[in-house]
Amino acid sequence: MKITRGSLILACVARIAFAAPRVVELPGKSPLVTLRFVFTTGSASDPAGKPGVAHLTGEMLGGGGPKDFTWKQIMDAMYPMATSVDVYSDKEMTTFVGETHRDNLDKFYALMRDMILNPGWRADDFTRLRDDSLNALRVSLRGNNDEELGKEELYNVIYRGRAYGHENLGTASALQKMTVADLQGFYRQHYTQANLIIGIAGGYSPEFLARVKRDFAALPEGTADHFDQLPAPEAIPHNHITLIQKDTRSVAWSLGYPVDVKRGDPDYPALLVMTSWLGQHRQGGRLFTRMRELRGLNYGDYAYIEYFPRGMYRFEPEPDIARHQQIFQIWIRPVEPPNAVFAVRLAMYELDKLVKKGIPDAEFQKTRSFLSKYINVLTKTKSSELGYAIDSLYYGTPAYNDYIKAALAKLTVADVNAAIRQHLRADDVEIVGVGKDTDAIRAGLLGDGPSPVTYNAAKPQDILDEDQIVERFPLHLRPQDVTVVPVATVFEN
Amino acid sequence: MRLRKTALFAAGLLTASLLAADGKIFPYSYVQEDLPNGLRLVTIPTDYRNIVSLFIVVGTGSRNEVEPGKSGFAHLFEHLMFRGTAEFPPERYEAEIQNAGAASNAFTSDDLTAFHTTFSKEDLPRILSMEADRFAHLSFTQEAFKTETRAVLGEYNKNSASPSEKLYEVLRATAFHVHTYQHTTMGFLKDIESMPGEYDYSRQFFDRYYRPEYTTIIVAGDVDPKRVRSLIDERWGTWKRGSFKVSIPAEPPQTAPRTASIDWPSETLPWIAVAWHGPAYTDTSEETVALDAIARLGFGQTSPLYQELVIDEQKVDSINAGPPTNIDPELFAAIARVKKAADLPSIQERLITTAQGFASKPVDAKKLEILKEHLRYEFALQLNNSESIASTVAQYVALRRTPETINRFYEAYARLTPADIQKAAQKYLIANNRTIVTLKSTAGSK
Repeated sequence: MKITRGSLILACVARIAFAAPRVVELPGKSPLVTLRFVFTTGSASDPAGKPGVAHLTGEMLGGGGPKDFTWKQIMDAMYPMATSVDVYSDKEMTTFVGETHRDNLDKFYALMRDMILNPGWRADDFTRLRDDSLNALRVSLRGNNDEELGKEELYNVIYRGRAYGHENLGTASALQKMTVADLQGFYRQHYTQANLIIGIAGGYSPEFLARVKRDFAALPEGTADHFDQLPAPEAIPHNHITLIQKDTRSVAWSLGYPVDVKRGDPDYPALLVMTSWLGQHRQGGRLFTRMRELRGLNYGDYAYIEYFPRGMYRFEPEPDIARHQQIFQIWIRPVEPPNAVFAVRLAMYELDKLVKKGIPDAEFQKTRSFLSKYINVLTKTKSSELGYAIDSLYYGTPAYNDYIKAALAKLTVADVNAAIRQHLRADDVEIVGVGKDTDAIRAGLLGDGPSPVTYNAAKPQDILDEDQIVERFPLHLRPQDVTVVPVATVFEN
Repeated sequence: MRLRKTALFAAGLLTASLLAADGKIFPYSYVQEDLPNGLRLVTIPTDYRNIVSLFIVVGTGSRNEVEPGKSGFAHLFEHLMFRGTAEFPPERYEAEIQNAGAASNAFTSDDLTAFHTTFSKEDLPRILSMEADRFAHLSFTQEAFKTETRAVLGEYNKNSASPSEKLYEVLRATAFHVHTYQHTTMGFLKDIESMPGEYDYSRQFFDRYYRPEYTTIIVAGDVDPKRVRSLIDERWGTWKRGSFKVSIPAEPPQTAPRTASIDWPSETLPWIAVAWHGPAYTDTSEETVALDAIARLGFGQTSPLYQELVIDEQKVDSINAGPPTNIDPELFAAIARVKKAADLPSIQERLITTAQGFASKPVDAKKLEILKEHLRYEFALQLNNSESIASTVAQYVALRRTPETINRFYEAYARLTPADIQKAAQKYLIANNRTIVTLKSTAGSK
C-alpha cells in the first residue's frame, strides 16, 4: 500500500484539514482498474431535522445524470464497458466505487468524474431516487427483511438522540419533505477536498493518476467533518427489549450495547478474537455450535464488534463503513415462535459465561491461528484490498492485514479475557425482536418464569441439564423494560 | 480422458480484444482429467498467489428430487455434509477448517450442490484429505439428522420474510405440474416440515448421488496440476463408483395460459412475474443465448421498457428478466416490482408486449453487437480472484461437466443473429406457454 498526501498514522483524522485529497494507491499489473472515491461524510452529518440528506445526496450523484448527460445517457455509455458506479453511504463515509477494464479506463473515468464533480440535480432523477429511498426504508427493510430490520433498529435504539441515531436512509417523514436544495446544500458543504480520499488500484499509469488528482482539485478545499468527539450514547440502565410487531413466521433477534473500542484501539485485536470465537457469518463458532448445531434452534447465530450491514447476503463485511463508535452485537437468526424466548435466553446465558469464564487457552490459540490466515480472505480482490487500505488511513492503522497479524502474534489469552471483562457484560443489554405474537413473547419474557425449549429429537443429558438453567436464565425484566412497537411506525419519524 | 489445453498467454491476463489467441473467452489454461472411478478433476492455475479455491460440484440438485414428499433433500444434504465422519466428527472438521484459516461454505441450485473452500496453498493436501473422507464416509446419527432439519426450517423461515421468494415459489408450482422444477431448491414447506421422519431416505439419497461419477472437483489458484492430480489419486481414488440413474419426468407442453395470485400479509410493493416455458440449456444451437439476449435487450437497464417504466413514468422500481439455463427446460421469466397495485394490469401487458415484440420484429443488429461487447467485458470483470474463477467454472460444470462450456456459450453468442432471436421468441414466448403470478399486500397501506 502506498499512501500519498497525508501522514500515515493519524490519531484523529477528522481534525486535520488537508490542502489536497489523500490518495491511496495499489498499483499492479491487472488489466482491471478500480477507483474508490471516499468522502468522509455521511448520515452522522445529516442536518438537524433532515435525516437521510447525506444518503440521498450520494444516491443523486451515483444514480442520477450529471450536468451534461441524462441518467439514460450514462447507462447507455457504460453498457458496452459493462461498468457502473456503485454508491453506498454510512454514518461517516460515502463511497463511490467503479471498476473497469483498462481498455475503457479513460472513457469510464470521464463519466464517473462528471457524476461526482458536476451533478445534474434533475427533478425527475430526484423524484425517482427519493421514491427508491422511501421504498428501501418502508418496503425492503421494514416489510421484507425481518433480520436486517431488527439489526438496524438496534442501532437506532442504542444511539437514540445522537448523530448515529437514525437510519442512513433517513426517516419516511423527512424524505417526503426533502428537496433538491437540501441535497445541493449538503453537497456544497461536505463534498470537499478535505473530506476526500481517492483510492486507485490495478493497471493504471502515473499520468492517469495525476489527471485524477488534478480533476478532483476542482472541489472546494473545505474542512473535514468531525466525528472523533461525538457524544457517547446514553448508558443502558437495565436490560431493555423492543418488540417490533409484524406478521411473520418466526422471531428474529438482535442484541447488544456500545463498546468503546474501534479499529486501531489497543483492545481491538482482543475483541476481534472474541467475536471470531463466538462466531461470524457462516464460520461456525460458539453460538452457532450451541444454538444451531446442537439444538437446531435456527439457521445461525453470530457476533460482531463492527457494523456489518446486509450480513445475510455477505460472508465478509464491506470496507469503507468506518465508524468512530461501534457496538458489540449478537445476531440470532429467526427462531420458531415457541422457542423464541428460550433462544434469546440462551444467547444471554452464553454471553454471561463468556464474561465470567473467558475463552479457554486452547480455543484462543485455535481462533488466533484461524484469524491470522483468514485475514487474507478479506482482501482477496483488489477492490476490497483498496477499501481496507482506505479504512486503514482513516483509522490511522498500518495496512489491515499487517496490523492484525502483528497484533495477533503478540496477543495472549490473558489479554483477550481482560478485554472481555473490561468491555463486555451480560446485563444492561438492548434487545430487539421482530415477531408476530408480541403479547406471548412479552409474557414469556416478563417475570423470569421458565421458558422451556421443545425439540424434535433426543438430546444428550448435558444439553438437557444446561437447558434447565437456560430456561430460567434471569433477564430481570420489568413491565416498563419491554416496549412493543407496531412495525408501521418504525423509521417513520 | 485427459484433456490438456495450452497456456495461451502468460498469467491469464486478457488481451485488449478480451479474447485469447484461439478466440476463446475463458483466459486460463486448465487441465481436465477423469479418474478410473468416474471422478472428474479440473485444475486451473491462476496468477493470484498463495490462495487456492476448491469447489466440489455434485451433479444433484432439486431437479433430482423425484419422489413425492421428498423435495428439499439435495439442499438438506448441503447441510448434512457438515455433520462429519468417524475420522472427522464435526468438531474436528471445524477445527481443521479453522486451522487453515479457510472460508468454507456450500450452495444448492436446481441442478447442482457445490461445496467450496478457499485457503492458503500449503493447506491443500490436508483439505483434500478431509473432503475425500466426508464425501466417501459421511456419517450422521438420527438425532443429528433431526436437529439439522430444524436448521433447514429455520432457513425457510428467514427466507419467508421476502415476498420475492414467495413469488418464485408460486411461479414454479404454477408453471410446472410434473417436472421437479415445480419446487424451489428449498423444497415444499410441507416436505421440509416432514423431513425429520425421513432419516432412512436421507441415507438412500446420499448413496445415490454422493458418488464419483456425479462429482467434479475444481481446484483454482496457486497450484501445480501434476501435484494436484497426484493428491487426488491418493485421496479420492478409492471412492467407489455408484450405479444410480435418475429418471426425471418431462413436463408436458402447456396448452393454455396460467395465472396465480398471492396475498401478502405485511407491507410490500406489489410484484408481478410473467414467465414462459423455454428450452433446456444448449450451446449447440442459439436458443439459450437468444433468450439471454431478449432478457438483456428487452428488460435490462438500457432497454426502452426500463427507460419508460423506471426512469420516465416511474411506475416500477425494478425489472429483472432471466433466460432458462438449466439442464432441463425451465422458464424465461420477467419480474417487476410495481409502485402502485392499480398499475399491475398495465405493467403486465407491457411485459408481455415487450417479450412478444421480439417475435414480430428483428432486433437492431447494432444493439446486438453492443450487447456482445458488454458480455465480453462483463465476463472479464468477474474473474478478479481465484474464488470467483472457480465459482464461475462451477456454474458451467454443472451443465456439461467441463469449463469448455464457457467458451461454447460465448461462441454461441458470437454466432447469434437477429433472426435467431426472432425465431426463439416465436417458438417460446407465446400465450399458451405463459404463466403470470402477482403478489399484493393485504396489510392495507399499499
